[in-house]
Amino acid sequence: MTLLKAVQITKVWEGARGLSVKALDNVSVEADNGAFVAILGPSGCGKSTLLEIIAGLEAPTTGDVRMDGRTVTEASPERCMVFQDLCLFPWLSVFDNVAFGLRRRGIARAELKERVDEVLDRVGLSRFAGHFPHQLSGGMKQRVAIARALVQKPRLLLMDEPFAALDFQTRVLMQHFLLEVWESFGTTIMFVTHHIDEAILLADTVYVMSAGPGRIVDCVDIELPRPRSYTTDAFNQYRVALTEQMEREVMRTYQPLAAAE
Amino acid sequence: MSRRLDALASMRTVLAAPRDGVASTASRMLRSIVRVLFPWLVVVLVWEAAARAGYVNVTLFPPPSHFIRYVIENDFRFGIGPQGVTMWASILSSLLRVLVGLALGFVAALATGLLLSTWPAGRNFIMPLLQGLAPIAPIAWIPLGIVLFGVGNKTAIFIVFVGVFFVLTIATTVAVSSVDQKLIKSARTLGASGPQIWTTVVLPAVLPQVFTLLRINFFGAWMAVLAAEMVGLKNGLGAIIIMGREMFDTDLILVGMCLIGACGYAVDSLLLAIQRSVLWWKEPT
Repeated sequence: MTLLKAVQITKVWEGARGLSVKALDNVSVEADNGAFVAILGPSGCGKSTLLEIIAGLEAPTTGDVRMDGRTVTEASPERCMVFQDLCLFPWLSVFDNVAFGLRRRGIARAELKERVDEVLDRVGLSRFAGHFPHQLSGGMKQRVAIARALVQKPRLLLMDEPFAALDFQTRVLMQHFLLEVWESFGTTIMFVTHHIDEAILLADTVYVMSAGPGRIVDCVDIELPRPRSYTTDAFNQYRVALTEQMEREVMRTYQPLAAAE
Repeated sequence: MSRRLDALASMRTVLAAPRDGVASTASRMLRSIVRVLFPWLVVVLVWEAAARAGYVNVTLFPPPSHFIRYVIENDFRFGIGPQGVTMWASILSSLLRVLVGLALGFVAALATGLLLSTWPAGRNFIMPLLQGLAPIAPIAWIPLGIVLFGVGNKTAIFIVFVGVFFVLTIATTVAVSSVDQKLIKSARTLGASGPQIWTTVVLPAVLPQVFTLLRINFFGAWMAVLAAEMVGLKNGLGAIIIMGREMFDTDLILVGMCLIGACGYAVDSLLLAIQRSVLWWKEPT
């Protein structure tokens, strides 16, 4: 069953002195209930903008986002977003960061504590409830950010390149962590990335975007059994196919120096 | 009530945050006290030696041993008859004036700065006014303060207030516009309402920056209070110096100067301690 549908989204940023930039051109994506959807594209292709429009943080210029058939008009904890960096509140402890959304919605103390403790336990952060963000490693900060979203019981978890700033080892650990979370919480996930491998490892469906303006150029279903490994032949076939496609898209916009003569 | 308990609990976690042990904190405090006092000890010894050796005139420029003995012999009282004041009353009145003025200025500037940030039309109208008023040194407000509020605490508080209010209001609006948009977006997707974002994200995000400027502007405000006490207010630490000048009593002048320095240093340390314990998430500069 389709949970979320973004239909023919176009976004034009109006700049100063009449300059305008088309960030997204007629983009349509959808996510089934419980699915893991990746949006793969180069930097600057508008994939973060797309995610913010889906979250309800930005309004599309044309087109609309529908969740359960209802048009999205504002941000809601139903569609929680996890950013790449600096998204934890540095003045709050791990516990208070995770409790932030529940407090704002006036959830009773007993229930709040129970829910936060449960999520912290499930993401393995119980011992760090009293710590502050600056005392945590990069991977742990991301786990707090994910816990802070999960405690809201979101129906759709939106993730904007959450692991891009992490080193390779930490990123691999976090990818497995995210898959465990996805399986045990059953949340639908929409995940933006520029890593081909990451998209193949995680997603059921990969939307491939190209830049300037952002368009969807392909939609690939990854039919690999889970758990997946980076090093199998089948994985490699997807890697080669997606790499060729991205290379083609990049070269399309590349103008060789010789041509300028 | 539960909110207050909440705040207390989070403060306790801050204090209990595993940074370093109790023993090393104590020894570090001791070391930092020694580090601050040692240069002064050297200055005092040189000064005393110069006075003993006859290089300086003890009557015109008395060394610490001289004016400290003067204070003790006078039982911590200065002046004669109805004009007499105790040292403690002078310290207390100067400190109260500056602390009340700073607190009022800080709170009012935060409130005004946040309000202007939410209201572009008001901001466009008021910012040029603030930018014109901010460069007027607190000392320049003294005559107007005395005319408006007479000779008393109200004038001193007014001077400190204007000394910090305009600058901090501008600083607050600048700090608000530089708050990381992703923090605000995160709060929105977590379900925080518009007003909640102001109180639970923007306010804590700007506090450290505005408080740092409060500390920087404290010195200007402190000087202005003392200047006001010297030219009009007739009590407080500034008045002790003027009393000393009128009585040709250099001991009294130097006592006043030393107390002003010590109290100013104490207040700055207090502000720094507040910043470190309550606004710890940004390292003070």
